[in-house]
Amino acid sequence: MGSYILRRLGQSMITVAIVVITVFLLLRLMPKSGYFTREDYVNMDEAARTAYLRSMGVLDDPATQFVRFMRGVFKGDLGRSISIYPKSPVLDIIKEKAPYSLWFGLAALVLSMGLGLTLGVLMARYKDGLVDSLGTIYVTIVRAIPGLIWLFLLQQWITGLFNWPMVFYDDRPVSWIMPTVSLSLTGIAWYAIWLRRFMVDEENRDYVRFAMAKGLPRSMVMRRHVLRNALVPLVQYFPQQVLLTIAGSLLIESIYSIPGMGGLLVNAVRQQDNPLVQALVLLYSVLGVVGVFLGDLLMAAVDPRIKLTEKKARLAPKGDLP
Amino acid sequence: MTGETLLEARDVVVKFSLRGRILTALRGASLDLRRGETLAVVGESGSGKSVLAKTFLGMLDRNGSICGGSIMFDGRDLAQLRKEKDWLAIRGKRIAMIFQDPMTALNPLKTIGEQIREVLVLHRGMDRRASRLEVLRTLELVGIKDPERRYRQYPHEFSGGMRQRVVIAAAVACKPEILICDEPTTALDVTVQAQILDLIKSLKRELGMSVLFITHDLGVVANVADRVAVMYAGQVIEQGTVEEIFTDPRAPYTWALLASLPQLGIKGEDLFAIKGTPPSLFKEIKGDAFAPRNPLALEVDFVAEPPIFQVSPTHWAKTWLLDPRAPTIEPPQSVIRLRERLKAELAERQRPAEAGRERAGRERQKGSAS
Amino acid sequence: MRQNLPDLSPELFRPARFSETEAEMSGYERYSYWRSTFRTFLKSPVSIALLALILVLTAFSFLYPVVSRTDPNVVALDSSRWNLKPGGAGGIFGTDGLGRDIWARTWYGTRTSLLLGFVIALFDVGIGMVAGALWGYVKRLDRIMTEIYNVLNNIPQTVFLVLLAYIMQPGFWTIVVALCSTGWISIARFVRNKVMSIRDAEYNIASRCLATPLPRMIVRNVLPYLVSILIMEAALTIPYSIGAEVFLGFIGLGLPIEVVSLGNLVNQGKNTFMLYPYQLTWPTVVLAAITISFYIVGNRFADASDPRNHL
Repeated sequence: MGSYILRRLGQSMITVAIVVITVFLLLRLMPKSGYFTREDYVNMDEAARTAYLRSMGVLDDPATQFVRFMRGVFKGDLGRSISIYPKSPVLDIIKEKAPYSLWFGLAALVLSMGLGLTLGVLMARYKDGLVDSLGTIYVTIVRAIPGLIWLFLLQQWITGLFNWPMVFYDDRPVSWIMPTVSLSLTGIAWYAIWLRRFMVDEENRDYVRFAMAKGLPRSMVMRRHVLRNALVPLVQYFPQQVLLTIAGSLLIESIYSIPGMGGLLVNAVRQQDNPLVQALVLLYSVLGVVGVFLGDLLMAAVDPRIKLTEKKARLAPKGDLP
Repeated sequence: MTGETLLEARDVVVKFSLRGRILTALRGASLDLRRGETLAVVGESGSGKSVLAKTFLGMLDRNGSICGGSIMFDGRDLAQLRKEKDWLAIRGKRIAMIFQDPMTALNPLKTIGEQIREVLVLHRGMDRRASRLEVLRTLELVGIKDPERRYRQYPHEFSGGMRQRVVIAAAVACKPEILICDEPTTALDVTVQAQILDLIKSLKRELGMSVLFITHDLGVVANVADRVAVMYAGQVIEQGTVEEIFTDPRAPYTWALLASLPQLGIKGEDLFAIKGTPPSLFKEIKGDAFAPRNPLALEVDFVAEPPIFQVSPTHWAKTWLLDPRAPTIEPPQSVIRLRERLKAELAERQRPAEAGRERAGRERQKGSAS
Repeated sequence: MRQNLPDLSPELFRPARFSETEAEMSGYERYSYWRSTFRTFLKSPVSIALLALILVLTAFSFLYPVVSRTDPNVVALDSSRWNLKPGGAGGIFGTDGLGRDIWARTWYGTRTSLLLGFVIALFDVGIGMVAGALWGYVKRLDRIMTEIYNVLNNIPQTVFLVLLAYIMQPGFWTIVVALCSTGWISIARFVRNKVMSIRDAEYNIASRCLATPLPRMIVRNVLPYLVSILIMEAALTIPYSIGAEVFLGFIGLGLPIEVVSLGNLVNQGKNTFMLYPYQLTWPTVVLAAITISFYIVGNRFADASDPRNHL
């Protein structure tokens, strides 16, 4: 098992490297106006702009820029924000915003998993019944209609209904409810539909039929065999889901004015703040790789077959019948 | 060998709704299983043998249902059982079943010990310690050495033959009265086949079970069975002891089956093969289902379905050839040759019938059964 | 089933003539993959209704600009035409803050958004199919393609979308490129898996042994599965692309504001929702009708084209 972890870790590091390089290269294509504040851009003439860009090192070839950037990363220097928080170090800005994303993400995650898995089990257990139909309608709405629309309408409707504040306030806990719930809604739909599908797939397998032939009641078979086995392919998505949710939903933080990383990225894009965009995109990409890696680990922990393919084939002891 | 009747199926009709049409998989199948015997059910694919077995456990696919007939077991008609609760008292406990493919019959994510234990806990209400000991005992019973270590292992750590032993262990753990084996050796190597068959035979003796053995392989039948039921197109068309079926078959389809055995071919001549294909079970069948493929058919075979004719107290067949009005028709040469050969061996040996069957069985296996 | 023995005349007990052709005729069942697929799909009234809805909405959105004289872009200088409620002088869906007719804008917008979705689906599927087929067939490509797949799989899709839209300026083809760059790989992978499994499937080896010409093999064995997947993918791409367009519009990286699209309509309507809710709700209703229909139909077709469901 240990060797498996190390191998996967090695592979992930290579993937991280490739991802970071690819994204960094793409980021070289960022609009040059993003390196200026609006006034500066307008006021400077062509020559001044070019000189400024050169002084920032942005006109150098990509390889040089990359090396410089990586050096900066190890020193904790991710550049400075241009237009949003002029001259503030990007790292500090992120450090300030990250906790909000983290907390909302975690809360939404717990909600997503708890409600989503429960819904998925119910939908599989009572397949084609009322619960299944309602659940399907719910999932359809969440997945087919663009998130912005139903999130926005939900925000308007619920906050009006209960007379809650429409945006997030640090000191008013009531304003924390809607963002958390909204953030979890997609996750619930996602877990429900995937678990249902995996459970339905498992139900058709031979070993389920054999379990029933052994006289196990359907509910026990669903619980002990089908659910447990269906969670295995599902499990690999958990960490990625975790990390993405934690990184902050761009939409939720924007419409609820939560000062998190997601909202930060949206603002950075709107105001064309290149260093911020760069740092956040790279951060999310790395988090993505980490998520996939953790997912593979979880899968290996849960599925006994995976571990064994790593070990050498053990010869059957003498005397064993074929 | 024969005891009282344990399970009696009469005129069972099973229909499936398939692609908008109705498929009649069983068109009035009857058989009976006696206590302490091994009954082999033989037939081609699509003859309905697996479907029939599944009705004994209430495990028809969702699009199928029993539309007629009765299945009497211990005074109850299994064909009438609708609630899962009723079946739970039977499945695994009184009637157990093992399937064809051992590779997929076990849950890959659970230890094999656990998969056997859950049966004991469920049906015999044993606690942790007692059930674990019983599992170890059962593992030894099916010939798995070093059960302590094996208990904790997962299915993929076992070979095909070993997995089938585990499956058998799970099935017999609660000492059921009837064990249904649905082609349990088809997916296994020939050498392993023989061992599994021996295992089933010895388990039958030790646990006093009756075995319903489904197969398309006549060699296995000769090896294992006391009585045989031959199925075609959703019906049992002949039933009798192994000796009767092999030496005195009466239904033309049984003749055709036996004649198809490669061992009975004469060197240099074409091997016998039944012409044509089984009828479509989507359509209603008039008369004898085998008639279109039967060169020895009578006119009446196309008009009316033959009833059951008793040949001896243990032997009956559904064929118009047994009707007193039918002309006497000899079975094909190869079937006669088989009869002579078997009779010769029996006469020669002067031993109890079982040894003779064993010999015939081995001979058949040597030539590699179909 | 027992016949009364006396009812049968003795003549019947003569041997019958044996016809070999009769013997062969009894058996097989004809199975057509496409016929079964469509039958399974059309079994549900919901599928039929939504399919009809899709066709109606699509047709209407493409025909309306041809048939109607209302210009969705014309701004009313007369302020009395601004923000009119639906009905009467306001037109069917009312007018927005610049006096533009929302009914017209909705249908023009639908056409744009559908066009966007179709183009994306086309490229996704086209590139995905070719790439996937090569990937599956040419063994040497496997390593590098798997690497590319891993990299694309690891980057969060939303983030990648934002990145690409950020570096290429807002526009129709920007969105096409942005969405296609992540979309093609999953189709490619699927096609590759299918090609590999089919290539090595026993019935294809059997076909090859029988010297079946390659094109025939592909048409009979490979094509049915691929086409059904592609139809399903195309149907599911529409809601996804509309959603992406709305999202990008929200961030400011969507289609230019002058362009009439559902995404722009929604974002504009959102801003005036408090005062004039109809400016958001009506375009949203049409948008929801389209995305939900495509989503459901796409999923149902996917289920129907799985041979295991051809009961």
